[in-house]
Amino acid sequence: MSLIKLDDVSKLYGFGDATTLALDEANLSIEKGEFVAIMGPSGCGKSTLLNVMGLLDRPTHGTYKLQNRLVDRLSQNRAARLRRDTIGFIFQSYNLLPRLTVLENVALPLAYKGMGVTRRLKAASAILERVGMQNREYFYPYQLSGGQIQCAAIARALVNEPSIIIADEPTGNLDSAGSRLIMELLSEVHKMGNTVIFVTHNPELTRYATRVVYMRDGMIIQDESTSVGQVAKTAKARLYSRPKKSVEDDLAGVSLLMKTVPDKESSEPLPHRKKKTQTKRRPNTKAKVKGRLDT
Amino acid sequence: MSWRSGHIHTAIVSMRVNRWRSLLTMFGIIVGVASVIVIIGITQGVKNEITNQVNAYSKDVITITSTAGNSSSFGVSQVAAVSVLTNQDVRSVSKIKGVIASVPLEFLSGVAKGDKSYPSGLVIATTPQLPEVINQPLVLGAFFSPNDPNPFAAVLGYKASLGLFNQNVPPLGYGFTWHNQQFIVSGVLNRFKATPFSNNTLYNEAIFIPTAAMTQLSINSSGIYQILARVKHAKDLPVVAKKIETVLLANHGGQKNFSVLLPSQVAKSSTSVLNLLAALTIGIAVIALFVGGVGIMNVMLVSVTERMHEIGIRKAIGASNRQIMSQFLIEAATVSVAGGLIGIVLALLVDFGLKLATSLSPSISWKVIALGAVISMAIGIVFGSVPALRAAGKEPIEALRNE
Repeated sequence: MSLIKLDDVSKLYGFGDATTLALDEANLSIEKGEFVAIMGPSGCGKSTLLNVMGLLDRPTHGTYKLQNRLVDRLSQNRAARLRRDTIGFIFQSYNLLPRLTVLENVALPLAYKGMGVTRRLKAASAILERVGMQNREYFYPYQLSGGQIQCAAIARALVNEPSIIIADEPTGNLDSAGSRLIMELLSEVHKMGNTVIFVTHNPELTRYATRVVYMRDGMIIQDESTSVGQVAKTAKARLYSRPKKSVEDDLAGVSLLMKTVPDKESSEPLPHRKKKTQTKRRPNTKAKVKGRLDT
Repeated sequence: MSWRSGHIHTAIVSMRVNRWRSLLTMFGIIVGVASVIVIIGITQGVKNEITNQVNAYSKDVITITSTAGNSSSFGVSQVAAVSVLTNQDVRSVSKIKGVIASVPLEFLSGVAKGDKSYPSGLVIATTPQLPEVINQPLVLGAFFSPNDPNPFAAVLGYKASLGLFNQNVPPLGYGFTWHNQQFIVSGVLNRFKATPFSNNTLYNEAIFIPTAAMTQLSINSSGIYQILARVKHAKDLPVVAKKIETVLLANHGGQKNFSVLLPSQVAKSSTSVLNLLAALTIGIAVIALFVGGVGIMNVMLVSVTERMHEIGIRKAIGASNRQIMSQFLIEAATVSVAGGLIGIVLALLVDFGLKLATSLSPSISWKVIALGAVISMAIGIVFGSVPALRAAGKEPIEALRNE
């Protein structure tokens, strides 16, 4: 039994001519305790996939089973309850509420659970201690560095003891030291038995993952297991060696050529072609002249 | 539910952050609540005074008025109409068991001239029993009596005595002329506490002369304006009033062209105009409250749009639609209740000012203050519900996309 099971999940945005296919019949199942990295170019549907898995968004087609329960057509309120109890979100832009202190921010999910003020602040304080933020409890988000804010955001995601942590580019706005701090924290969370799913652009960060999913144009194009501590093979290939030939090599610039050719008309050839013909012709003429001289 | 306390906290924080905006939003509510409370306070104050006065001077007096003219409670218009009450009626009433005394009041006009001319004078022709009925002692001298050798004696109201004679001289035994007849002042009445819409204001300015004198001068009067009948025991009032009605009906050949009023009814009829005025003004205040409510709705809609991203975050970490809704409802209610409280304080200040600056003594009861608080809260909830529903219904992902 999978923790998360997506079957032919599609997501369409807009309608008519402006329809975009953000997810194209994606199939994915994630087991309990996995540490999944999702990679792919921007606009490939990674975030949409995360949002669908995190019950923030509903798929247009296909079915989604969370803990063996069909959840793709839940009402807003039931989705909210499920989010509150089983899923913790971490965002690229942190998304702490600016007017609340770190402690209050972390305690907020407990407030929505109906916990009393004293108890929830105590619980939040305990979680903040675990992420090493105990001496920043009464700071406001704008008084902290990016890494610290993201630590607080992780604490907020953990405070409800969710089984799934979903992180959308958690290190996207951080420097390498901050990234390391956050990834170490996430892998600690993973070690405690949580399932962690995160999106990243940085192939180095696949070292922390146990599985890497590659996406392109809304489709899952590759799915490989990897051992912790090593960069995943496909990611490594992308990181250390430039691909010899890609679709871009064949296509890039063609449209440019097609635009410029009709403009310049056939009578006036492109500059480099002209050059080429000139260089070709020159030796010939020389030869001819030479020949004439010779003769 | 404990998380609600968090909402109130959030509401107060956001009010503090947008101080000016919140204050401007509250303005309509402040004005509305303050004016409702002030108006109710003034109306209640005047009513209290009228009731007090009725109790002080005439709590056991039955008033009989003619309704032949019209039924307005302002005496003046009835003076003009010819009254149907007669001296025969006065005598019949005084014979009824339980009535101690009954006196007619006839209103006459004309300029009286003593040391000074007194043009605003109202002359009331009545019988010597008047002091028994109106429960007011004379400050100087004695009321005229049937045994007086001179039938042209007069008793002055407090203001009339000041208007006719120089203040430093007690006017007893002095004379004044009215309709070419010399009257001798035999007494001055103590000052009646003045309130709007009551007979007592008239008494202060009036010159009282005996009915007999009026008859002798053969002045055209419009008849007996009122008959006052004093009852022995206040508890007999309704019974005696019934009897008076029966007797007068017989006198008038079965025509019900008079009305018999108990003290409480007198107070009521004199406050009916007041109530109408108050109702009109409160109507306008209610419009102010409504406009204030629309203002709150407007600002809350803006606030919801501004904070869409926050709503998205709250939903992402598990807030249900109802929790988002109650957050914004509580915020709207907090703003309007704060406005209501400021309005209440303002109303108290205005009332204090009125007490200092005018003769009005508005009375604000706790009930009215509670009403103000409840009204403002209700407005917050009613007008806050549309923005709150809008915030609650947003899909989390759409809300999150809003930066």
